[in-house]
Amino acid sequence: MYLPKITRLPSVRLLSSIQQQLLLPSIPPPTAPRRAVSQGEYRRPGQPKEDKFPWQPINFGFSKGFEGIKKHFKLLKKEFSDRWVGPEGKPLLEHMLEQNRVMWEFRGPESLEQWTVSSDREIGGQSEVHLKLGKNNNTCFLYGTLNSTPPRDGETRYSGYCTLRSEQPRASFDRKKHHDLSSFNTLHLRVRGDGRPWMIGIATETYYSHQKNDMYNYFLYTRGGPYWQDVKIPFSKFFLTHCGRIQDDQHPVWLDKMNTIGFTLADKADGPFQLEIDFIGVCKDYAHSEEFAYEVYKRNPEI
Amino acid sequence: MKRARCLLQSARSAAQYGALLQSASSRQPNPLRSTQHQVLRCFHGSPAHAKGPPVPAEFINEDDKKGDKSVVVHDDLFERVAKEVKTKATFNKVVDVFIKGDVRRRGHVEFIYAALNKMPEFGVERDLAVYNRLLEVFPKEVFVPRNFIQRMFNHYPRQQECGLQLLEQMENYGIMPNIETKVLLVQIFGEKGHPVRKYQRIMYWFPRFKHVNPFPIPQHLPEDPVDLARFSLTRIAHDRDAKATVHQLPCTDITESGEKITLPHIVGIQSPGQVELLAKHNPSRPVFVEGPFPLWLRKTCVYYYVLRADPTPPDEKVEEPFDPERCLDYPLQLELDLDRDLGDEENFDVEDLDEGPVFAMCMTGRGEQAVLNQWISGLQEKNPILGRVPTLFRLDAGPRELQGVAETESAHHHGPEPETQTEERPPQEEHKKNLREQWRKSRGRARR
Repeated sequence: MYLPKITRLPSVRLLSSIQQQLLLPSIPPPTAPRRAVSQGEYRRPGQPKEDKFPWQPINFGFSKGFEGIKKHFKLLKKEFSDRWVGPEGKPLLEHMLEQNRVMWEFRGPESLEQWTVSSDREIGGQSEVHLKLGKNNNTCFLYGTLNSTPPRDGETRYSGYCTLRSEQPRASFDRKKHHDLSSFNTLHLRVRGDGRPWMIGIATETYYSHQKNDMYNYFLYTRGGPYWQDVKIPFSKFFLTHCGRIQDDQHPVWLDKMNTIGFTLADKADGPFQLEIDFIGVCKDYAHSEEFAYEVYKRNPEI
Repeated sequence: MKRARCLLQSARSAAQYGALLQSASSRQPNPLRSTQHQVLRCFHGSPAHAKGPPVPAEFINEDDKKGDKSVVVHDDLFERVAKEVKTKATFNKVVDVFIKGDVRRRGHVEFIYAALNKMPEFGVERDLAVYNRLLEVFPKEVFVPRNFIQRMFNHYPRQQECGLQLLEQMENYGIMPNIETKVLLVQIFGEKGHPVRKYQRIMYWFPRFKHVNPFPIPQHLPEDPVDLARFSLTRIAHDRDAKATVHQLPCTDITESGEKITLPHIVGIQSPGQVELLAKHNPSRPVFVEGPFPLWLRKTCVYYYVLRADPTPPDEKVEEPFDPERCLDYPLQLELDLDRDLGDEENFDVEDLDEGPVFAMCMTGRGEQAVLNQWISGLQEKNPILGRVPTLFRLDAGPRELQGVAETESAHHHGPEPETQTEERPPQEEHKKNLREQWRKSRGRARR
């Protein structure tokens, strides 16, 4: 059935709806904004449309310079030499038999470069978020303030979110690489929060452009307090959402090409927040035999 | 409504019609409230298709709250009522006025949007009965699609979006709809419309995620600060054996000079494991009282203080062997040569962060040093070592909820204190801390 177009938000992931286009007017205005699926980034309501050719924003200059060339050739050399060590740079036995893998551990300033923070400042809200290293340079400390006053642009209804998202791993010359987690079935986090509920989002590599904002989410409930909290979430619990809306057709997350993992906070409680992460790892839990936690059969039959 | 000529009525005898009316009016009010009206409805099924002459406005509209009909901004209705006390009863009254005002329910979409916006002001946003009452504002059976073409083409899109927005507000507040909601939605929009689909989604996902929080917080937190402190301390204690003790209840004292002093509450928690750790602590190393750290329970933020020490340097660590008589059911230590290889590795290859032991936590009404000193002296009954150990206070100037970034940064001192930490503290504080240290030591000696 025909549904009004919902704005796509590439950097925003929430379960409850954040934004929705208002009612379609009964007489559509002659210049109604229509974004094609293939069109790229989110355009803030009120900002003028940019009439550029697709190749114009790309920077073809030499400003990236010598450092860029050195970095990319070093990565290329590493890729060639890794082949001699084993698949994906690890010895074959380790690649086949590993039960645990630490994906991210925050042990120095260079580990923060793999993460991006964003908040609803991008859509005109007033939340703030910052990321720094914790004490002893051993943990990452995400803190900020949440403010759920929606921006006054006539369209946005809800606001107040902050996210921390990992960068897509890159090979030499900025080619996309993926995390291969097919031999694992549980996500293990060591966090210390302040009692707020977070949402974990895993974005995988997709084929069709309609699936660009697909994400697999699950809740991360922090206890608060001075003690560290070990959180183990099996991948079978992650449910599929698109633009923050949970979907009817669910399927388990495909782990062979994971792109990014992210943490979102949008619990409608205005005020400061903080989250410390010690490490993020994946492991294989032999005691967990569930394939998927939600029903896969068609639940809303067609009209 | 009764002026409409019904085909049904003409087919029946007058006596039967009267009997039907009487039975309809005397029927018990059931969840399907509009069945009463359905008896009197005409063949097309809704008052909108009434064949009778249109009723002049002034006969229907006698209530002065409704105002003139020209351009009714529906917020005004609520504003007019808002001069009285804003309660559920007044909200329902406004909705009733609108429902009774016009059979055709002109402007019901705008009215419902305005009502949804005003709900938090009237305090009824978590009340399911109010949402069902709002759903009754929609005229029934008008928007139900009657053939496949209407079903395909988003029949009455504006009303469907309004229904969706109502359900979305219910979803945002976490309210589970009930069977009355479903019946109303089916009557208004039909079974294949968007609102009913959204209702089905809510009924599928909400029960799945209702109990997914491993640390659940009740909807109504205790209002007494001592109870709230006890609840939050047992939550963060990470140990089932920990017991919260109330060191001081809030009270107001009048001193000799007639001044009123309010004493804040002090609730502390310490588990037997923490007592043991503190007993093993080296008295020459100081312990720190740090705080305030925030803890969020739904929408309220409470602050707690922590008594902890720096991690012992590796040369001072003493490995105590497990006492075999501590547990007679099974051995606490097993020397087994398990022949494990790479495929059986169960632990992550991450160095264990040693941040130092935490000895106790507390929550008080006022985070001043005098109050925290009282807490420490309260702890001293079970932990006599506190009298000999220097206690340093690392407090930030009072807990504040909504802060700017700079203040927020200074308020967060979670985590271990490296040896280079001292240079962050200004020298005056160091001097103050030394004074406090001497004062604590002298107090400790006096206690013994």
